[in-house]
Amino acid sequence: MAYLQFPLFILFILLLGAVITPLLMKRFNKKGQYFIISILMVSLSLSGYLLFQVMTQGSYMYNVGNWSPTIGIQFSIDEFSTMMVFFILLMTTLVVIYSLRDIEHEILPMQIPVYYSLIFLLLVGMVGITFTNDLFNTYVFMEILAMTSCAIISIKRKKANFMAAFKYLMLNTLASISFLFGVTLLYMATGYLNITEMSKQMVVAWELYPTNILLALGFMAAGLGIKAAVFPLHTWLPDAHSSAPTPSSALLSGLVVKVYIFVTMKVLFRLVGTSIIIGNLGIHNYIAYFAAVGMIMGSVFAIGQKDIKRMLAYSSVAQLGYIFLGIGMATTQGLSVSLFHVVSHGLMKSALFLSAGAVIYKTEKRKISDLSGIGYEMPLTMIVFSIAALGMIGIPGMSGFMSKWYLALAVLESGQPLYLIVILLSSFLNAVYYLPIIVAAFLKPREDGSEEMTRDGIPRTMTMPMVIIAGLIILVGIFPQIIMNIIERAVPTFL
Amino acid sequence: MKDLNRKPKENFLQRIPESLDSFCVNCILVFILTIFLVGIFIFITMASGIGPGGNLIFDAKFSIAGTFVNLINNIPYLPFIAILIPLIGGPIEAYIGRKSETLRDSTVVNSTFVTFLIILAMYPQVAEGSIDYFIPGVFGVGLYFTVDMLGFIMAMTAGILWLMVTIYTRDYMKIERHRNRFSLWMAVTFGGILGTIFAGDILTMFLFFEMMTLTSYMLVAHNQSKESMLAGNNYIYMGVAGGLSILLGIILLYVYTGTLQFVPLAAELNEAGWIKYVITLFFVLGFGVKAGMLPLHIWLPKAHPVAPTPASALLSGILIKVGAFGLLRIITSFFVPDISSLGELDPTLWSVSENLGAVIIWVGIATMTVGVFMALQQSHMKKMLAYHSISQMGYIVMGIGVAAYLGDYGAMGFTGSVYHIVNHALFKGLLFMVAGLVYLRTKEQDMYKLGGLWRKMPFTALVCLIAALGITGMPGFNGFASKSMLHHAIIEAYEYGHSSFRYAEVMFTIVSAGTVCSFIKLFGYVFLGKLPEKYEKIDGDNGMMDMAMAGLAILIVAIGQAPNYFLNAFLIPAARQFVYDPYFINNYLVDMNFFNYADISIMFWIYLFGFGIFFIGSRYHLFHLTMPDWMDVETTLYRPIYNLVYKNAIKITDRYEMTIIKEDVIIYTVILTVALIILTRII
Amino acid sequence: MDFFEMIIDRINYFGAATLFVIGLYTVLTHPNLLKKVIGLNIMETAVFLFMVSVGYVSGGNAPILGTVKEPITASYVNPLPTAMILTGIVVAVSITAYALSLIIKIYEVYGTVELDEILEMRGE
Repeated sequence: MAYLQFPLFILFILLLGAVITPLLMKRFNKKGQYFIISILMVSLSLSGYLLFQVMTQGSYMYNVGNWSPTIGIQFSIDEFSTMMVFFILLMTTLVVIYSLRDIEHEILPMQIPVYYSLIFLLLVGMVGITFTNDLFNTYVFMEILAMTSCAIISIKRKKANFMAAFKYLMLNTLASISFLFGVTLLYMATGYLNITEMSKQMVVAWELYPTNILLALGFMAAGLGIKAAVFPLHTWLPDAHSSAPTPSSALLSGLVVKVYIFVTMKVLFRLVGTSIIIGNLGIHNYIAYFAAVGMIMGSVFAIGQKDIKRMLAYSSVAQLGYIFLGIGMATTQGLSVSLFHVVSHGLMKSALFLSAGAVIYKTEKRKISDLSGIGYEMPLTMIVFSIAALGMIGIPGMSGFMSKWYLALAVLESGQPLYLIVILLSSFLNAVYYLPIIVAAFLKPREDGSEEMTRDGIPRTMTMPMVIIAGLIILVGIFPQIIMNIIERAVPTFL
Repeated sequence: MKDLNRKPKENFLQRIPESLDSFCVNCILVFILTIFLVGIFIFITMASGIGPGGNLIFDAKFSIAGTFVNLINNIPYLPFIAILIPLIGGPIEAYIGRKSETLRDSTVVNSTFVTFLIILAMYPQVAEGSIDYFIPGVFGVGLYFTVDMLGFIMAMTAGILWLMVTIYTRDYMKIERHRNRFSLWMAVTFGGILGTIFAGDILTMFLFFEMMTLTSYMLVAHNQSKESMLAGNNYIYMGVAGGLSILLGIILLYVYTGTLQFVPLAAELNEAGWIKYVITLFFVLGFGVKAGMLPLHIWLPKAHPVAPTPASALLSGILIKVGAFGLLRIITSFFVPDISSLGELDPTLWSVSENLGAVIIWVGIATMTVGVFMALQQSHMKKMLAYHSISQMGYIVMGIGVAAYLGDYGAMGFTGSVYHIVNHALFKGLLFMVAGLVYLRTKEQDMYKLGGLWRKMPFTALVCLIAALGITGMPGFNGFASKSMLHHAIIEAYEYGHSSFRYAEVMFTIVSAGTVCSFIKLFGYVFLGKLPEKYEKIDGDNGMMDMAMAGLAILIVAIGQAPNYFLNAFLIPAARQFVYDPYFINNYLVDMNFFNYADISIMFWIYLFGFGIFFIGSRYHLFHLTMPDWMDVETTLYRPIYNLVYKNAIKITDRYEMTIIKEDVIIYTVILTVALIILTRII
Repeated sequence: MDFFEMIIDRINYFGAATLFVIGLYTVLTHPNLLKKVIGLNIMETAVFLFMVSVGYVSGGNAPILGTVKEPITASYVNPLPTAMILTGIVVAVSITAYALSLIIKIYEVYGTVELDEILEMRGE
C-alpha cells in the first residue's frame, strides 16, 4: 500500500529538486545534469507505478497530513489525474533532456541552474494543480505556476521577453484574482473549500444563494479563460510562448495551458455539477461558441505570422478551441475527446516546438520564409516537424486525426452539426499554414542552391526526445485506445 | 560547412549507357517470369470458367499446383502483406539507393514483382468469395480489409502497370534528381493505392486514400520547378479538401447509420431524410476530385504534365482510377437495398441511387466533352494526354452513372466502366511512356516541333500506334471492347430510363470521334512527316524501356483479341458479387458478342468522323484556340479562394493582431462584465 | 432608509466590489506599468478584504484558546479564511516584488515604463 503516499512523494521530490539543483550544479557543474535527469526519472517511475496501481486498484482520495478534508488539503488520485501527471512528467523529462544542450544556446551560463530549478517548480505547480481536490490549494499552485512560467520567460534576457513576461504576469494575476474571488464566493455559499464537499452542498446552495454561485462562475470563467487562453483572452499567449526559450515553449504550450483546462473541467463538472451548468444555465453552449471562434481565428492569425514560434503559439490558440469545443458539448464523448486532445495536442505541439527549436539552434532561422530547403539540412528534425504538422492538419495515422474524428462524432452525437463545418474549416486553415512549411522544407532548394542531404548536425540529446515524441504521436494515432481506455474510465467522474 | 555540400551538377544530357548491367538482367528475368506466370494465370482463370468454384478442376489436374492453391487459400492476410511490402520496401529502397543506384532499382522492380505475385495469389480465394482480414484496435475501430473481385481487378491492373513502370523508370529517371526520394514515395504511393483498393470499410479506405494523396504529392512536385510546385499546390489543396469532404461524408454516414462497412444501406439512408443527399454529395465531391470530374478536374492537367513521366503514367493509369473506384464502391454498397430483400423491394429505395446516377451520367458526359475539346487544343504532348485522361475518366464516370441510375439493371454500366478502367490504365500508361521516351531523346514536348521519329525509334512508334488504336477503340484492340460496352450502357440508360439520355449517346459518339482526331494528331505530328534536322543524331529506342512498353502493348492486343476472356473470367464474377440482376447478366453479358456488325460499323463512322475533324481542324487552324481567362478555372475559382483565405488572413492579422494584444485588459473587463450581467440576469 | 440599511448591512461586499472596480480601472486606464501593478494590488486587497469578512461571525471572538481560568465558550469567527488570506498576501507580495523587478528591467532596456510608448517602440 506504499503507493498511497506516492502523490506527496512526487511533489516533495520535485520540490527537493528545485531547491538543491542550483547548489549541486554549482558544485558539480555539468555533471549536475545527471542528477536532474535522475530526479525526473524517479518521479516519472513513481507516477508510472501510481498510474498502474490506480488502474488496477481503483482511484482514491489522499488526505495530506491526515487532516480531515474539510479543513485540510485533499488530493484526488483518479485515473485521469494520474495519467496527466505521468504525461506531464514524461514530456518534461523528454524536454529537459532536449534542453540540456539547447539551453546553453539560449540563456547565460550562470542562469542555467536557476532555469532547471524553475522547471522543477513549474512541475510542482502542474502536478499540484492536477492532484489537488481543494480550491484554495488550486489557487496557490496556480500562482506558483504563473510565477515560474513568467520567470522562465524572462530568464532569456531580451527586450521582448521582459515585456512578454510582464504582460503574462499582469494578466495571470488578474486571472488569479478573479479565480480567488470566485473561490471566496463559493466558500461563502457552501462553507467548504474541498471540491467533493462543496459539490455535495451545491444543490442546497443553489436554492439559497444563486447569486453567489453565478457571480463566482462569472469570475472563474473570466479568470480561467485567461489562464487557458480562450480566444479573445489569449492575448498573452503568442508573446509569451514565442519569446520563451524553446524547450520551455514546448512545456508552456504543451502542458501548462492544459493543466488549467483540467481545472476548468473540475470547476464546471465536479464542483458546480452538470445539473446547474447544463440544466439551469447552459454555460456549455457559450463555451462552445467561444471555442468555435477561437478555432477559426487562431488559425487565421497563425496564417498571418512570419515567425515560426509565434505561428505555433497561435496554432495553440486554435487547438485549445478544439479542447473547449469538446467541453462545450458536455457529453461523455465530448469530454473524452477534450481529454484525449489534451494529450494529443501536448505531444504534437511539443514536437513542433522542439523541432522548430532545433532549427533555430542550428541555423538561427526563425522566419517561416527562410525555411526553404531546411529539410535537406536537417532531415530528421523536419521529419519530426512534418509528422506533428500533419497530425495538426488531421492526416490519418497521427494522433490529431483521432482527436478530430472523435470530436466530429461527439459534435454530431449532441446534435450540433454546424460545429462540424467549423472543425473542417479549421482543419483546412491548419493545412494552409502548415503545408507550405513542409513543402518549402523538402521541395525547395536551400539558399546556397545545394540539395544534398546532410546530417542534422544537432546533439543527440536533442534528436532523441524529438524522435520519441514523434513515435508517440504515431503510436497514439494508430492505437488511440491506449489513452482512450484510461479516459473512458475517468470521464464518469466528471459527469 | 556549406562547401561540403557543393557538388558538380549532373550533366542532364549525358548519354545513357546501353550496356547490359545487373539491373537489365534482373528486369529481363522478371519480365520473362511475369509473362510465364501471367500465362499460367490466364490458363487457370480460363479453366475456371464462369462462376465461383470452377477452379477446383485445377487441383485435380496438377497435384503440386493444387497443394499450392490450398496453401494460399488458407492465408487470409495476403492483402495486408501486399500493402506492407511496398510500405516497408520504400524506405529500404531509399536507404539502399544511397549506396548503389543499380541495386536500388533492382530492389524496386523485385519488390513490385513480389507484390504483383501476391496479388495474383489472391485469386483462388477471391474466386470463391472474398478475402476478409481484420486488424483490431487500430484507429479505435480496427482496420478492415476485403478483397472481392472488383478489388482484385483493380489491384491486378495496378500491379501490372506498376511493374512495367518500375522497369521503365530507371532509364527515364537519369534526367531527374532525387531518385532515392522518388522511389521511396512511389513505393509508398503503391502501398496507399493497394490499401485503398483492399479496404473493407470506408474508414480504412479513407486512411489509405489520404496517404495516397499526400505521397503522390511528392511525385507531382518531384522536380521542384516553379510549375510543378504550383501544380503540386493545386493538387494537394484540392486533395486535402476532397479528403475532408469524404471524411465529412463518413462521419455523417456513421452517425446516421451506425456502420462503416460496405454493406447495402439504402433502407437506413432512406430514413435519414435530406441528409442522405448531403452524404452523397460529400462522397461524390471527395472522390470526384481524384477522379477528375468536371468542375474538380483543374489539378489534373497541371499535375500530370509536370510530374516525371513514370509518375504521370501512374497518376493517369491508376491513381485517378482510385477516385472512380471509390465511387464504384459507394454506389455498389451504400445506395443499394439489401440483396436479401430484393424480392419484395420497395422501389423508393433505389431513388437516391437513381438521382445520383442521372447526375453522374451528365457530369461524365460533360467531363468527356470538355476533356476532349481541351485535348484538341493542346500542343504539349503530356498535357494533351492529361486532358485525354480527363475525357476517358468521363467515360468511366458515365458508366458508373449508368450503373447507379439503372439500379439492378446497371450491370452493363458497371462492367463497362470497370473494363474501361483496366483498359485505360494499360493504354494511357503506355502513351505516357511513349511521350516520356520521346522527351528523353529530343528534350521536346511540343508535338508540332517534332516529326518523323518513326525512323529513329520504330519500336516506340509501333507501340504508340497500338496504344492509339486502343484508346480510339479500333476493333481488335482493348479500347473497343470497353467502349462498345459503355455505348451499350448509355443506350440502355435511355431505353430503361429517361429519353433525354439519347443526347448523351450523341455526345458519346462525338467525343469518341474527337479522341480519334487527337490521336491522329499525336501520331501524325510526332512519328510521321519530316524529321527535323537537329534530331538526326539522337539515340533510338532503349532496351529496358522498350521491354516495359512491350509488356503493356502485348496486354492491349491480347485483351483486344479476346475481350470475352477478361469479361467472363473477372468482370462478370465481379458484377455477380453485387446486387445486379442475374438474369440480366446471363442474357446480355455472358459470352457477349463484341464483334457484331452494329458496333463495328459505329466505330467505322466514328473513325471517319474523326478524320473529318482532323482535316477541318488543321485546315482552319481550330487546334490553337486559346481560352479566354475566365474560362480557366484556376483564375476564376482557385486563385480567388486562395486569395480570400490567405490575403484576408494576413490582412486580419495585420490589422487586428496588435490591437487585440494591446486591448487585453479591456477585453478581460468586457468579458467579465458581460458574463456577470448575463449570469445574474438568468435568475 | 431601507436602502441605506441594506448598504450598511453589506458594507463589506460593497467595499470589496468598489475596491475591485477601482483596481481594475487603474489597470485598465493607466499606461504606466507601475500604476498597473498598484491597480493589481488594490484588486488583490479587495479580494482579501472580502474573504476575511466572509469568515466573520457577528459577536464572535478571536479564535484563540482562552486561558484555563476563563475558557472561551462563546462563538468565534472562522479562522480558515484568515489563514488563507495570509497565504494570499504572501503570494501577492511576491508577485508585486517580481513585477517591480521586471519593471526595472523593462526600464533598463526600453528607457520608459509607459506601456503605449513601449508598444510603439516594438511596432517599429
